[in-house]
Amino acid sequence: MAKATGGIQLEGTVVECLRNATFRVELQNGHKVLAHISGKIRKNYIKILPYDRVLVEVSPYDLNRGRILFRYRG
Amino acid sequence: MGEHAVAIMRIAERHWHALDNDRVVGRGEVTCRPDGRLFLSIDAWHSAVFDQLAETMVADLPRPLYTVLDEADVDLLLQWERAGFAPRRREWEYVLPTDPQITGLGSAPPPRGVTTMAVGEAEEGPLRVLDRVIRDEVEATAGWQEMPAEILSGPDGTPLLDPAKYAVAALSGEYVGLVRVVPLPRQPRIGLIAVRSDLRRRGIARALLAEVLGSAHRRRIATASADVNQSNGAAIALFEGVGARRASSNLELVLR
Repeated sequence: MAKATGGIQLEGTVVECLRNATFRVELQNGHKVLAHISGKIRKNYIKILPYDRVLVEVSPYDLNRGRILFRYRG
Repeated sequence: MGEHAVAIMRIAERHWHALDNDRVVGRGEVTCRPDGRLFLSIDAWHSAVFDQLAETMVADLPRPLYTVLDEADVDLLLQWERAGFAPRRREWEYVLPTDPQITGLGSAPPPRGVTTMAVGEAEEGPLRVLDRVIRDEVEATAGWQEMPAEILSGPDGTPLLDPAKYAVAALSGEYVGLVRVVPLPRQPRIGLIAVRSDLRRRGIARALLAEVLGSAHRRRIATASADVNQSNGAAIALFEGVGARRASSNLELVLR
């Protein structure tokens, strides 16, 4: 699993795929963040779809932004 | 992040960290594909950190270097271009309907003498023979450069080939075409569709598509996805002919 770059890691669910390669993710605490995908996910051609459960690293600089580190199976 | 520049450290053969007062604020990684090509990825919250990681990694590694990104991610594309990378090729991501009434595949019988076998029914031996024939025809090796989703190879260099992910077409008992399907539960991905070169343009690939899309439709899966190199006119015609639409595109960048 990918490691974080200084941010808090939280699980969430993708609720929307946006046009500019970003995703709206609802975290387990109800907070929603705009998230890009990590370089490792990109390199491995892992597709992110709505309703996917993901691990998100929330930016320590902007709590409304994040990065998807991992997509859970199922 | 403070005003001062971060420190970049290579912490392992394939990993770099950007440190700001001992806090990791960016990471870089290089992956060696089976064909020997080096693919870079960088995760950083600030573009200045990205630039420093890219500069260090590029200086540390032999060229050519590669990366992939979603073309819609304009900021990321600009960051890699600042590091000297340039687009090499584009892959369209298609979303394919599975409903035969939309694809038009329900009423199309396979070509005469051709039978299709559902995903998981193929025998490994003949499947491996066909895979080898097709690879030889396109001068491919493990890690097929123009193949969006590569096939990994085992420790002995033999491509890993899981029959549970393939549907095949057979003619007179001989396997002549294959389609590899990644069984993602909500949207399966077609990783490869290929027919022996002497038997192309006969509708065999279309029959294979009918097999896998029809199977998905019966399992109430509405769509599948496929990545296609923009130079692969035959595959584009095949997919667009069954109602596939372009959903996004990936760029492969290279630094020579």
